[in-house]
Amino acid sequence: MRPLGKAASDDDRPLIERVRKGDQDAVRALYERYFDRIYNYVYARLGRAEDAEDLAIDTMTRGLTRLDLFQDQGVAFSSWIYRIAHNATIDHYRRHGKVSLVSLEHAPALESADPSELAVEQMSNEDLHAAIRDLTDEQQQVLILRFFQDLTAAQVASIMGKSVGAVQALQHRALGSLERALQGRAVN
Amino acid sequence: MTPEVERLERLAERLRTVDPYVPPPGAKIRGWNLVLAAVEQSNTARSGVHPIRRLVLASVAAGVLLVAGAVAASADSLPDSIFYPLKGVLENTRGALTFGASDQLAYHLDLARTRLTEAQAMFARHRVDLADQALSGLDDQLNDAALVIQAEKQSDPAVGAAMENRLRQAIATHDAQLAGLQGQVTNPTALNAIMQARDRAAQALQTAAKNGKGNGNPGTSPNGSGLGNGTANSPHPTPKH
Repeated sequence: MRPLGKAASDDDRPLIERVRKGDQDAVRALYERYFDRIYNYVYARLGRAEDAEDLAIDTMTRGLTRLDLFQDQGVAFSSWIYRIAHNATIDHYRRHGKVSLVSLEHAPALESADPSELAVEQMSNEDLHAAIRDLTDEQQQVLILRFFQDLTAAQVASIMGKSVGAVQALQHRALGSLERALQGRAVN
Repeated sequence: MTPEVERLERLAERLRTVDPYVPPPGAKIRGWNLVLAAVEQSNTARSGVHPIRRLVLASVAAGVLLVAGAVAASADSLPDSIFYPLKGVLENTRGALTFGASDQLAYHLDLARTRLTEAQAMFARHRVDLADQALSGLDDQLNDAALVIQAEKQSDPAVGAAMENRLRQAIATHDAQLAGLQGQVTNPTALNAIMQARDRAAQALQTAAKNGKGNGNPGTSPNGSGLGNGTANSPHPTPKH
């Protein structure tokens, strides 16, 4: 797996101050630090490269031009930029419609599929991505941020505005839902 | 660890191995160009958020520059300059901050020299009215210098006598310059102004010589002390026509 790079938080503060003073190099540094991550996040959410590109650019533009709205009090810039990306994703869903809004959290497992026989190691990345996109909005968020973005539970909690415990519980439920979604795909 | 937890752990591990979506280089470049343009536009717009504040700052800066420029310009300004009134203000301020008889004498002699220079310049520009005013100013400064000397003589005659000699030398220099000027002008009004100035300078020296106790200086007029141009008994020679 190729790393996306360090998800900075504390390191962002000096850069943000420089951006506020009009330092173009600092703008570039923040852009380089977050563009790939945001692109990866929105691509995982939407599943379309073209949309991901537009939304990633839109997110970075909003984030770097509206720093006057960002108050570095308790919320890291990284959390803020992910929230912008999340909101942009929701807006996109509203405009274009979501592929699936069916929650699989409480869906019963198909009788013909044995979870223990699910060979997740052999599943393609695309199957995994597609199955994730069948989950609820929060479940998608937590799985993408925790496993694709390699963020800690605390970082995800900050982005989602939840407690760490709530994120861990959500992560557990999301993995269960993903397992069921994958079972459904295996049966089909 | 339950079987379910084990399965979910395996699933989580599998997710961690998924290759991330990486933006194509073109997308990243396009994104940077758009972001940069938006940031520059935002900075420009933000700088216009407080137009009144900017206007005030600009006004203050312009005011400071204007005052500084005016002060600098007024230092060498002549009576026909718009900055000349400011020069008077600066001179008065300087006078208010001058203490001690010797320094006050130097101050008045300096201003007397300045007035004479102004008068010469105004004569050269055919501004006889302004030249006349400058010569009046010259006489005022010499009279003030004489009064300073008078007062100093009462407290310290020796110092007062030395100061009187300084005034005499200054008046002698001025008189020589005025005599030269007198020889150059033909305008009767100008000639009259110059002659009056020379007379008043001589009177100032007489004033400085008066102390009621006698200062031992025999000469109390430019001519009597060997000053003047020596062309006549009067301190002011007959003008050339």
